[in-house]
Amino acid sequence: MDKGGTMPLSWHRESKPHKFCPGCGHGLVLKVLGELIDEMDLRERLLFGCDIGCSLLAWNFFNVDSVQTHHGRTTPVMVGLKRGKPDMVALAYMGDGAAYAIGSQHLVNAAYRNENIFILVVNNTVYAMTGGQMSPTTLAGQKTETSPYGRDTELAGQPTRGAEMMAAIAAEGAYVARGSVARMIQLKKFMKKALENQLAGRGLSFLEALSTCPTNWRTNARETWRFLEEDMAAYYPLGELSGPGKEVRGS
Amino acid sequence: MSSKESRFRLLKHEGVKGTFIICPGLCKGCGLCLERCPHDVIDWSEELGIYGTPRAAPARMDDCIACGICQLVCPDSAILIQKKQKKKA
Repeated sequence: MDKGGTMPLSWHRESKPHKFCPGCGHGLVLKVLGELIDEMDLRERLLFGCDIGCSLLAWNFFNVDSVQTHHGRTTPVMVGLKRGKPDMVALAYMGDGAAYAIGSQHLVNAAYRNENIFILVVNNTVYAMTGGQMSPTTLAGQKTETSPYGRDTELAGQPTRGAEMMAAIAAEGAYVARGSVARMIQLKKFMKKALENQLAGRGLSFLEALSTCPTNWRTNARETWRFLEEDMAAYYPLGELSGPGKEVRGS
Repeated sequence: MSSKESRFRLLKHEGVKGTFIICPGLCKGCGLCLERCPHDVIDWSEELGIYGTPRAAPARMDDCIACGICQLVCPDSAILIQKKQKKKA
């Protein structure tokens, strides 16, 4: 057996078991990332930036240089780090609230400038750390703490399709995709392509990972998988939306 | 606080097609692997896991085909499946 036991070698063993809830999709996304750090030998090159919200619990997750920023500001911090250290691989890790609500200005401008960083958004449809309030990606009719009768789209609008927005404004060479923790092999493929896109210097890499939050969804394991694979995947289609050699949608 | 060694102690369960290795110090008992197992091999343990809840334990190892889906979907990386090498005829 390898030295990491059951865990990827890049995981910081002293901080395990990690602080995410049982069944949280963050662990799955970070496992894929950890495996890729090992496989692509990025341990000395990766700059890991995490946001406010549940994603900040990853601040000591890896044996890599990590920084934890203000809410929604991970994108500009990582842009600055990447510009200062172009040889490093910059990763901005955040949740859907940080990406599409408070940090959407940075997301849009980073996409327009085609900054050479990797933005990884974990979409679990709620503000999980604060108790499960409605977020921009909460599905229509989904019950949360602040939408106890279900999200009313007349009042709160339609859920944000962030990957489609990024694909519409992304420059040539940018990579935009949406994966899901229900399809781990596909998610790993997308994440590898996103990291390779940055290593090749082609510009922005954006990956949204559909994720789970059993604690705030108040679901058991079976209902968690069902909500992720049926309800979420129906509104947020999986796949690559933009990439090198592929026509950018909306242009 | 348990020592580092006991925290990451591994339990091995031998099967026909492979070995199911679980780290009880990592399993929080979310049950995602139970739902995903195509042959219903995994069940809840009698002893309590790290979060004071039953954890995942292979109860029907004879049915395990060592597909590795449980390892793939474990958010805490508590499971490792080692496939047995096929004997060449």
